[in-house]
Amino acid sequence: MDADADVVRLRRGDLNALSELITRYQNRLYRYLLRMVQQPAEAEDLFQQTWLRVVEKIRSFDASRNFDAWLFTLARNLAIDHLRRIRPQSLDEPLANSWHSETVADRIPCKDHTPLDHALAAERRTEISEAMAGLPMMYREVLTLRFEDEMKIEEIAQVTAVPVSTVKSRLRRSLEQLRYALEARYPGGTWQ
Amino acid sequence: MSEHDKIRELLALAAAGALTAAEEKQVAEHVRSCVSCSNELDAWRPIASELRRLPTPQPSSWLVQATLARAEAKLTEQAEHDWNRRVMIAVVAFAWLLTIASWPVFHSVSGRFGSLLEPQFSPTQFGQTWISFAAFTALGWLAGGVAAVMLAIRQRGERRLA
Repeated sequence: MDADADVVRLRRGDLNALSELITRYQNRLYRYLLRMVQQPAEAEDLFQQTWLRVVEKIRSFDASRNFDAWLFTLARNLAIDHLRRIRPQSLDEPLANSWHSETVADRIPCKDHTPLDHALAAERRTEISEAMAGLPMMYREVLTLRFEDEMKIEEIAQVTAVPVSTVKSRLRRSLEQLRYALEARYPGGTWQ
Repeated sequence: MSEHDKIRELLALAAAGALTAAEEKQVAEHVRSCVSCSNELDAWRPIASELRRLPTPQPSSWLVQATLARAEAKLTEQAEHDWNRRVMIAVVAFAWLLTIASWPVFHSVSGRFGSLLEPQFSPTQFGQTWISFAAFTALGWLAGGVAAVMLAIRQRGERRLA
């Protein structure tokens, strides 16, 4: 069953639909929140708050709209309110402490063929994760939505409530800053 | 800004797959003839590729279960609230209907009682009947209102304890 059908059922108060939606979006939503606030405990709290907000507002959701964008907009608003309250400087300044925590899922081998390939790929990912964590929140956000959630530029524009042209320039600047950070952190590495 | 500079600004977005079809075509044509831009695009590709392959941090099953439980409780509470509101609307509508319907009955009964004491109809008697009816209705509504408020306070207290 697709997400739209679950949304229609949830609007009628179906508890199973809620469970299916949470299961469907749990990884993407948690990852997005974690990239935004960079603290697992805060991301967990925001994850719960987002779903409570979904239940509260689902009747006002226009079914002709994209549920993904609506869900991420709710999460975004909560995360920004939270950051504004807890760490207002994090909304525009790069964080001093980079976040990187390895989960069980992180340690699962992917498609790399040899142990050396795997080790190199893991190292590159660690480097990129650390460099990304040092970027300002808005840049981390656009990178995770584009590359990890694979959202279209138009969808990112909906979530972030800015024009498509702004999303594009933000994406370009975030990539440039990321590359600059990688080159500065790992001079002579594979990023140059 | 020259064509070369314009294309160079698009290279990061090209690696991100964020260009329109026309822009992509423009970049592809330029890159075929410009070694510098071709190298620059090659430098962007591993970054874009690794970003797509970053590990996904997963929420714990405890978090998912706790979220589900809280969201379900909220959904149930909302359904209960909606039901209470519908019942309240029906009760108020019924009460008004009863009030309006009871007026002729009340008037007729009080008129008969009145006529036993005072056979002649007088405007004063009509006025007294109306005042009695209004007082009776107001008392009924007041009692209903107090009961509703007390019930709401009790329900809120029970929710807090839960």
